[in-house]
Amino acid sequence: MNPKRTMTLNLTDQEMSVLDELSVQKDLSKTALIRQALRLYQMVDARISRGEKLFFEDQAKQKAELMVL
Amino acid sequence: MRFNRDRNWLAKRADQEDQHFISVGGLISQVDPAWQADVSSMPDVETTRTAFVRLLQLARRERRLSLEQLAQKADVDLAELVKIEAAEEFTPTLRTIHQLASFLSLPAKKLMALAGLLQVKDPSLQQASVRFAARSEPVEDVSPEEHAALEEYVKFLNEQ
Amino acid sequence: MREAVPIIDNASGELVDADIFDEVTLAHFIETQAEWRPIVLAAARALSQKPNQGILIPRHFHWDWTRKEAELKLLAVRFYGVAYEGQLQGIMKVETVAHTCRLPEQQGKPLVYIDYIEVAPWNIKVLMTAMGQPQRFRAVGTRLFEAAVQQSLEEDFRGRLGLHALPGSEGFYINECGMTPVGRDPHKENLLWCEFTPEQAERYLSGE
Repeated sequence: MNPKRTMTLNLTDQEMSVLDELSVQKDLSKTALIRQALRLYQMVDARISRGEKLFFEDQAKQKAELMVL
Repeated sequence: MRFNRDRNWLAKRADQEDQHFISVGGLISQVDPAWQADVSSMPDVETTRTAFVRLLQLARRERRLSLEQLAQKADVDLAELVKIEAAEEFTPTLRTIHQLASFLSLPAKKLMALAGLLQVKDPSLQQASVRFAARSEPVEDVSPEEHAALEEYVKFLNEQ
Repeated sequence: MREAVPIIDNASGELVDADIFDEVTLAHFIETQAEWRPIVLAAARALSQKPNQGILIPRHFHWDWTRKEAELKLLAVRFYGVAYEGQLQGIMKVETVAHTCRLPEQQGKPLVYIDYIEVAPWNIKVLMTAMGQPQRFRAVGTRLFEAAVQQSLEEDFRGRLGLHALPGSEGFYINECGMTPVGRDPHKENLLWCEFTPEQAERYLSGE
């Protein structure tokens, strides 16, 4: 794969706790999880920048807009 | 990445792959009437194919070669050459085109486009092909006019 | 990423080294489609003239590449190619964030999603046979699929993989590769969603 660079991440206890929890839930290392988060963020940002909208739809099929630029 | 380099594994996977279409979201299409229309709405191929056949015929006769001799010298299948020159609706193989291109000192990609194996957006190719096909006729001796036409077409194909 | 990977040269039956890399450009892709399309059409025409051979040709999907340039630059997307002497023999686009596992035992876990995989028509046996021509290379699709599984391992997704199988290819992914058919997806033209568990992926890579 591509050469990597190292970065130190300063997180609060709460953030670390969430990171730990999600890692277990997703069966991912913490690094892989942060990587996924970054990719998702980039993808969502790219589409919103293009004018698209991101919605959540609940069980009753009600739409609620998630992110607005 | 660690790809499996075991010959038996690869052979088995290749056998499996060969029995299926594995494409996901690809070009492979359903054969239906709408499709046929798509294919026949490529009139360019008819014209360039004619020019391709004419080109082969003239080039061969210029060199005073019979079909057998050309097949031998260019290392192509004689039966295939016969089918090509008979101008049947026949798709030449990629290899044959490459061999012929090499033998005739012509760019392979251009020949592939003429034969209809490659879609090239080149209006000048279309025009030159029409002109060449119109100026040449499938008769025994290469007339001076045909010779001139052939030279011009070959020169054009070798450009760019 | 760029590596040598052996594929099979059909004429000789020998293994030859092809290149597999993950930076196919959109321009390259479009050029490739222009090259492959006439051959696929010709083969389909030839196939349609023969009486029913019991072979189902998968439905056409027009991959809308008009807005894809920007998409290809996303971290979540990788566009692989297998090339021999500079000529593309097969391509594949995978994606890692928009889809997650649907099998109950691994619900919600990340996977590598194969959005698109295609082998050059001159390497597809069924098509070449219909045209009375020999196949050039074999196992190109296999190498692409294998790369997707390897990426899943590298990403820490443990080999988890997902795809929507086109009708003519369901048998390949389920029976030959060993994926689990999870269900038809109404959001994707009722295509069958197929998924790999880590164990299935491991079995695929090692050949059982």
